[in-house]
Amino acid sequence: MCWLLEVNMRQTTSPNLLKHRLWLIVPAALMVGIFFLYPLGFSLYSAITLDDGGFTLSHLNKAFDLYSKDILFTIIIVLVSVAILAVLSITIAALITLSPFRSLTKTLGFLYRLPLFIPFIVTAQMMRTFLAKNGLMNNAFVASGLLTPMDTVSFLGWSGIIITFVWKQLAFSTLLISGAMAALDESQIRAARNLGASRLSILFQIILPQITSTLGVAMVLSIVTMMSVLSVPLMIGTGSPTMMTADMAFRINSYGDYHVANALGLVSYCICAGLAWFYLRQNLKEKGAN
Amino acid sequence: MFAKTNIAVIAAVGLTQFSSFAFAETTLNVASAGSQNMVDYVKTYLAPKFEATHPGVKVNVVGTGPGDAGSHKIMEKLSAQNDSGLAKWDIDVAVVHQKIGGEMVEDGLLSKYRSEVKTGDMVSRDSAKNALGINVDGYVMPMFHSQTAIAYNSDFVENPPTSYDELVQWTKKHPKAFGYNGIKNGMSGVSFVTGWIYAYGTDAERLSSAPYDKSVESTWNKAFSELKEFNKNITFTPGNAGTLDMLNRGEIFMGPVWVDMFYSWKEQGKIPPSLKLSLIAPGMPGQPMYYVAPAKAAHPQLAREFIELATSPEVQANGIVKQFNWYPGIDANYVEAKLDKATWEKLFAEITPSDLSKYGKSFPIGPYFDDIKEGYERNVSN
Repeated sequence: MCWLLEVNMRQTTSPNLLKHRLWLIVPAALMVGIFFLYPLGFSLYSAITLDDGGFTLSHLNKAFDLYSKDILFTIIIVLVSVAILAVLSITIAALITLSPFRSLTKTLGFLYRLPLFIPFIVTAQMMRTFLAKNGLMNNAFVASGLLTPMDTVSFLGWSGIIITFVWKQLAFSTLLISGAMAALDESQIRAARNLGASRLSILFQIILPQITSTLGVAMVLSIVTMMSVLSVPLMIGTGSPTMMTADMAFRINSYGDYHVANALGLVSYCICAGLAWFYLRQNLKEKGAN
Repeated sequence: MFAKTNIAVIAAVGLTQFSSFAFAETTLNVASAGSQNMVDYVKTYLAPKFEATHPGVKVNVVGTGPGDAGSHKIMEKLSAQNDSGLAKWDIDVAVVHQKIGGEMVEDGLLSKYRSEVKTGDMVSRDSAKNALGINVDGYVMPMFHSQTAIAYNSDFVENPPTSYDELVQWTKKHPKAFGYNGIKNGMSGVSFVTGWIYAYGTDAERLSSAPYDKSVESTWNKAFSELKEFNKNITFTPGNAGTLDMLNRGEIFMGPVWVDMFYSWKEQGKIPPSLKLSLIAPGMPGQPMYYVAPAKAAHPQLAREFIELATSPEVQANGIVKQFNWYPGIDANYVEAKLDKATWEKLFAEITPSDLSKYGKSFPIGPYFDDIKEGYERNVSN
């Protein structure tokens, strides 16, 4: 094995072979270039140019002029969802890691994974009948005598979007976080317990500080996913205000106006890039401190 | 075992399909834009009828997708064949939306066939001559007409509003009981907003005909600010089907819907019989679908015979009205004679023919339509 590695290293250093190796990444690089970088570059270009190719900010102006409220709405929805998501997925992951009831945690471990296999559009359709004013949830409350039909409220709207996002992304982020928790050295937890630490202080003082980077990854990936979902705001949201994806679709379907749709895309790209920058900076800071 | 039998059956069925192809002398290509129910109508209702009376002819039906985008695909194909100078185009009959129908006439892609079909003079609607400001007289035959109207729950609303003014008063008295889907989640909401502009901005006749005048838009500010005020007293619904869903669950008691969708849902029991329709003054828009014949169709004579069959009073009565709950494309008087009283009354029970002719408007011409939608986005929703 050792010998193989050595040969490998020797091969890597040979410049001729290195050149050959580069060819190996060409198919993948071409795929990324043609199907990702080119469309991305094209849509950014289209967001800031006129039909004749001249530079303009009018599309961005129009995007803010017509959709500033929706942009703000999108940011708030995503941030609130991600905050709830963080709390819930940490709670579930901590229960699975720290709970003494093994059979319970096994069931929980199975249950939380279910949404992973359900597409967003199916989730949206499900929530549409579940969260409506006279939907399954409220009807269940009414039937059990907890509410009267007059007290029920509809969750279709901003709250429904948040519930759907959290429900769908919970599986993904819990999977990442509980994985990170399981990878921690068990002896640390045992040691803390021996010294009399409660489960809560083990979570906050031993476990959480060590998994912040995984938590960050889970949250940033969830934000990017939520920013890109079209079916949920279309099916559960009510259109006023709505999320930016719905505005982009409307711009294209209703006016055939790709410029302003791309300008909105640029704005949503900037929001994601801003969050990614914040996350990377935090990450680097921690590494620097260590 | 079952799988094997299935494969054998499928293969056998496949073979019969091929063999019928082989024996057919002619294939008539029909392209239909619109939702699946329209493609189904052409494929399962019209095509077999046509094949039965034309031995040796096979009708090949292709659906190109819903909305203007579906019609656009047909136009793109025809103009590509036109540009490349083909002598014979491979679409004989097409079903397209009003807006694209007009554009195809302008681009010279269609033949002026209406005077050559027997049913040509049974057409009475204005939309057979004027497609959102473009003169299409002679080039199109309406397949059916679809209309938007206000649906209401008659158990709770005894005197439904008959005009936009009354509706505004009603929503003040019953906050949140009226619902519509804004303008981004489907055409019934767009239609309601267009009707609002007809009522409080500029009348329908002016906006539905050329020439376009950019300054007209500036007079709508008051209409939009009133609409913003109106929106505070209502519930927003998630889409065309969303409005019907909420009416069904009793979460709202009134809302704009497509009439054909309303009747189909009622027939399927998806909404209760207590829901009724009212077309309010000064009117709400609707739109026709057109039968058109491309200028260089390979089988022009068969195409005319196909359209003749499709627009005959019998087919309009049993197919369009009875099975699919659409308003007929040809003059209603010809169709009424072919239907039993009950079916006819069902279609016109809630919206009478006179209401329909008074308050059934067409959509505005393209640029005004964009002005209305963008004005809404700028002044009402943002």
